Amino acid sequence: MMRVTVCFYSYFKDLTGCARTTEELADGSTLDDLFRALVVRFPKLGPMRKVTLIAVGVDYQNLTYVLKEGEEVSLFPPVQGG
Amino acid sequence: MKKHVTITAEPINESALLSQRVMSPGMGAVVCFLGVVRGTEGNANITALEYEVFRRMAEHQINLLLDELAQRWPIDSVRLVHRVGLVKVNEPSLWVEVIAPHRGEAFAACQWLINEMKRAVPIWKKPVIGDRL
Repeated sequence: MMRVTVCFYSYFKDLTGCARTTEELADGSTLDDLFRALVVRFPKLGPMRKVTLIAVGVDYQNLTYVLKEGEEVSLFPPVQGG
Repeated sequence: MKKHVTITAEPINESALLSQRVMSPGMGAVVCFLGVVRGTEGNANITALEYEVFRRMAEHQINLLLDELAQRWPIDSVRLVHRVGLVKVNEPSLWVEVIAPHRGEAFAACQWLINEMKRAVPIWKKPVIGDRL
């Protein structure tokens, strides 16, 4: 098993009721596996799947990305900079 | 290409930024863009926008965009200031300056950068209605 840190931004903090949490996953899990696990804990994230942006560290990644122990994953809605 | 990126909760001091401008030999165009908080959001009147940033990632993504911009156009310098936190109506939240040899590349690069920021830079805004200021 491995543990990753998950951060939420913008209104995703309201949907989950927290800004930060951790999740334990089987070795070799992908971001898609993580998202599914998070939806079990935070069902309001479910309908947001298609608009959710996901970063590992400071880089965007897609759902096939294979996670590693200790990584920091951020989930957030479409950005509005500028 | 010279680049200077600032993300700050302090008000954008446009006159100070203009006084710090450095023109290199051969540069003939300066394009400045100021993004200002509108008093309406959809059909609602607002008093401010509250900007939230994922700072480490925002700085990284802006730098990636500036690297790509430098590949696309012969730009000499970009300076960018994005304000975060509470920004009142009529106050600027974004200041961008692009310096290039000619106006065509300066306008194109500035517009491209702002469009790409809205796609890639993790900053969000929430309208503030009423007198929470």
